[in-house]
Amino acid sequence: MSNKLIDFQNISKTYGMQTVLDDFNLYIRENEFLTLLGPSGCGKTTTLRILGGFETPDAGRVIFDGKDITDLPPNKRQLNTVFQKYALFTHMTIAENIAFGLKIKNKSKQYIHDKIKYALKLVNLDGYENRMPDSLSGGQQQRIAIARAIVNEPKVLLLDEPLGALDLKLRQDMQYELIRLKNELGITFLYVTHDQEEALTMSDTIVVMNQGYIQQIGTPEMIYNEPENAFVADFIGESNIISATMVEDRLVKILGVNFPCVDEGFGQNKPVDVVIRPEDIDLLKPGEGSIDGVVTHLIFKGVHYEMEVMANNYEWLVHSTDMFPVGTQVSIHVDPFDIQIMKKPESEDEEAVNIEE
Amino acid sequence: MIRKFLQKLYLALIFIILYAPIVTLMVLSFNQSKTRAKWGGFTLKWYKELFQNEQIMSAFYTTLIISFVAAAAATLIGTAAAIAIQGMKQRWRTFYMGVTNIPMMNAEIVMGVSLMLLFIAFRMKMGFGTILIAHITFNIPYVILSVAPKLKQTNRHVYEAALDLGASPLEAFFKVVFPDIVPGVMSGFMLAFTMSLDDFVITHFTKGPGIDTLSTKIYTEVRKGIKPEIYALSTIMFVTVLVLLILINYSPEEKEDTKTKKKRAKKPSKVKKILLRRVIPVTICVLFLFGGFYYSRESNVMNSDKVVVYNWGEYLDPEVLTMFEEETGIDVVYEEFETNEILYPKISSGAIAYDVICPSDYMIQRMIKNDLLAEINFDNIPNIKNIGKDYMEQSRQFDPENKYSVPYCWGTVGILYNKTMVKEPVTSWSILWDEKYKDNILMQDSVRDAFGVTLKYLGYSLNSTDLDELTEARDLLIEQKPLVQAYVIDQVRDKMIGNEAAIGVIYSGEAIYTQMENPDLEYVIPEEGSNIWIDSWVIPKNAENKENGEKFINFLCRPDIALKNFEYITYSTPNVEARKLIEDDAVRNSKIAFPDLSQYENLETFQYMGTEADQTYGELWNQVKSH
Repeated sequence: MSNKLIDFQNISKTYGMQTVLDDFNLYIRENEFLTLLGPSGCGKTTTLRILGGFETPDAGRVIFDGKDITDLPPNKRQLNTVFQKYALFTHMTIAENIAFGLKIKNKSKQYIHDKIKYALKLVNLDGYENRMPDSLSGGQQQRIAIARAIVNEPKVLLLDEPLGALDLKLRQDMQYELIRLKNELGITFLYVTHDQEEALTMSDTIVVMNQGYIQQIGTPEMIYNEPENAFVADFIGESNIISATMVEDRLVKILGVNFPCVDEGFGQNKPVDVVIRPEDIDLLKPGEGSIDGVVTHLIFKGVHYEMEVMANNYEWLVHSTDMFPVGTQVSIHVDPFDIQIMKKPESEDEEAVNIEE
Repeated sequence: MIRKFLQKLYLALIFIILYAPIVTLMVLSFNQSKTRAKWGGFTLKWYKELFQNEQIMSAFYTTLIISFVAAAAATLIGTAAAIAIQGMKQRWRTFYMGVTNIPMMNAEIVMGVSLMLLFIAFRMKMGFGTILIAHITFNIPYVILSVAPKLKQTNRHVYEAALDLGASPLEAFFKVVFPDIVPGVMSGFMLAFTMSLDDFVITHFTKGPGIDTLSTKIYTEVRKGIKPEIYALSTIMFVTVLVLLILINYSPEEKEDTKTKKKRAKKPSKVKKILLRRVIPVTICVLFLFGGFYYSRESNVMNSDKVVVYNWGEYLDPEVLTMFEEETGIDVVYEEFETNEILYPKISSGAIAYDVICPSDYMIQRMIKNDLLAEINFDNIPNIKNIGKDYMEQSRQFDPENKYSVPYCWGTVGILYNKTMVKEPVTSWSILWDEKYKDNILMQDSVRDAFGVTLKYLGYSLNSTDLDELTEARDLLIEQKPLVQAYVIDQVRDKMIGNEAAIGVIYSGEAIYTQMENPDLEYVIPEEGSNIWIDSWVIPKNAENKENGEKFINFLCRPDIALKNFEYITYSTPNVEARKLIEDDAVRNSKIAFPDLSQYENLETFQYMGTEADQTYGELWNQVKSH
């Protein structure tokens, strides 16, 4: 991970009355697997389409490899896109699909032939040259779409929710496939998804977006464990997000009870949000933890049980491998380093994050 | 069981209703006899004659070429338009789709007339070009309508994917988007092609002299009866379309087949490929070669010395035209019309400058009255001496000074009866009201003919405008109604030949022909008098080659030429010298073809009576028909 390959500078884009991107800044380093993550309408796809050249920003520049490509048409850009619905050319064979870009660049027959072989091998579909796209399964079609893109040796591969149309099992297989591909090819991936699991599994860097603004940039671990605001916390995994007061450094008052924590620098008696992941809550016998409560719901989820515990007028979401039947009296305990403190939003821009989508 | 049987019966009925007419037509195309009423044995002669009939074949090629070029141009424009509309914002898209649909909803006649007016306003010469423009215009909406849904279906990302892979927008369109919408484009083309192929109304209003499509050509033949050659042509066309349809439908079936066997490699089927890459292009090339050959031959003879003739359909031996061209070096531009009423607006609008036209008596009177005709310089028509004095006298009824017209064909209206069914001598119109012949009487389905007969029977003029006389005639017609088998036009001929009725009101020209087919038939002009009709050559005021027109009329008055035309048309000729040349005694002395006019004092031509009287007649006729 070295220098900046792509740099979005002050990008704004509006459709009619709706502002999709507002003064958007982001850079992507070479060989990075960067994921734009957010709910639909957050501007992630628009960002990708601006980079692909299918949309022109109203303001701002896109710098690619040191050159301004803002006004360059898509066919002149050194990057390739894998579209959400594959967008294979249905009237061409698989081989013709893969050869499409190479033929336009007037590569030799032998070169094209070798490239097709190589690409099909790469996506584990050798021998499919003469099939027609609609005789392939969804996962196979998606891999062909990837093969078609990578034979052109792009510096960046853009993937627009490529796994969105696949079923769960296939989606998981494809995630590993993509990681492998990225390692073998050694190129930059810009990945767009609304699926947090995909983002967490594959990315080097995740950019969480909402309503045209970047909420947080970080590694999957950082995003998951230390969400910077309630939106990120809520969007990535399930969480208990509770209004609280920072009494002093390393001490936060949640629902009227003081909890020791590890965060500092929020000042004294300042309102904050705290995030506690459901799997970080330990259920003890009544009186042994910080707050006593009673189990109100119980669902078996396979890996764990999901429970809701009513304590101090708040419904705590708890994941545990131990089962506590509904009605059981329990006590809640949270380790200090499992309490994530977040600043309350102050400006209007930041307010956006609290609006439920 | 019963339900299944009924289902099958229903289906069978639908098929019978759909295909019975076509089967009838196909059978008739092999009928030796020229009339529909009789089976004269199996023959292929109509097919042979079809390919030798230059007029039909040239109309056929014109039709194919216009349809093909119009469909191709409309496909090009329509597809481009559909793409543009697809790219618009929703609001505009709805608006433009609505606008394109209007010409399709519009009545064809409105479209035809407005196009004609437009062409006249721009002073365009009516002909191949104007028909083509008109056809392209009305074809475009059909193309848009069949391409637009295909475009809507295409995945927008497919186009972007092609751009993304380095294709320029144009490359992306042709390599990726176009193959996806090809079915829509093809069906748009086919739709446009068929719409053009059988269009009559719009073609009729936008065509000029010297050009006919199949539909207009067939329609001009209505007056004299559609020729069996047309049955043959229709059969060939039907079979061709059927074969093409089977071929086209055969290939997708194969495609389905491979689709189900997913494991197998799948390529576009061979049949389809051969069809697309070989058969269709070759057919098109052959078509163009023929067409090109035909047109180059046509255009070779185009020179400035010409005469533009507008005549009834099938109302002149085509050989006569060739002879005239060879003898005089003047080119004939020949166009045909079907009724006087269609002829009139074309002349009065002055859209096309005809040099010689052939209206009927009352229409000539109307044209003289409206100052549409030029006085003929009879110095240029010395052959006028061959026209019998009687006919010049009769012509005075509509051309009082014999200044504007030269008689060409004439005839009477009378009674045709079957001697085996009517034993008594027929002398009066009264037989049409005789209860004995209930359901055996055929009347002409036309206002003037029906009233003319009745007025004559009552002893009045057949041009009467006296309301009392007309009301009396109406009541008599209503009284007659239960006796009448049918009110028909053409079918009098066929039904009488087929012994389907005993008595019919008919024109003498047809009577000659029916008698040849069925010797039991006899024609008589009732003693109360009847209608005599004369079709004469006249020259419109806006003629550009008046002298050539006069040369043409003079040529037609030559005895040998008049004879040729008489033999072709079989309607009575006023040319006495020509009559003398008729070889067959029976025909030359036929009482039907050449009744002694001096015997009948009460023969009248129809007169133009003005719109008011026309309306009165129309209303009274409606009362009869709806009674």
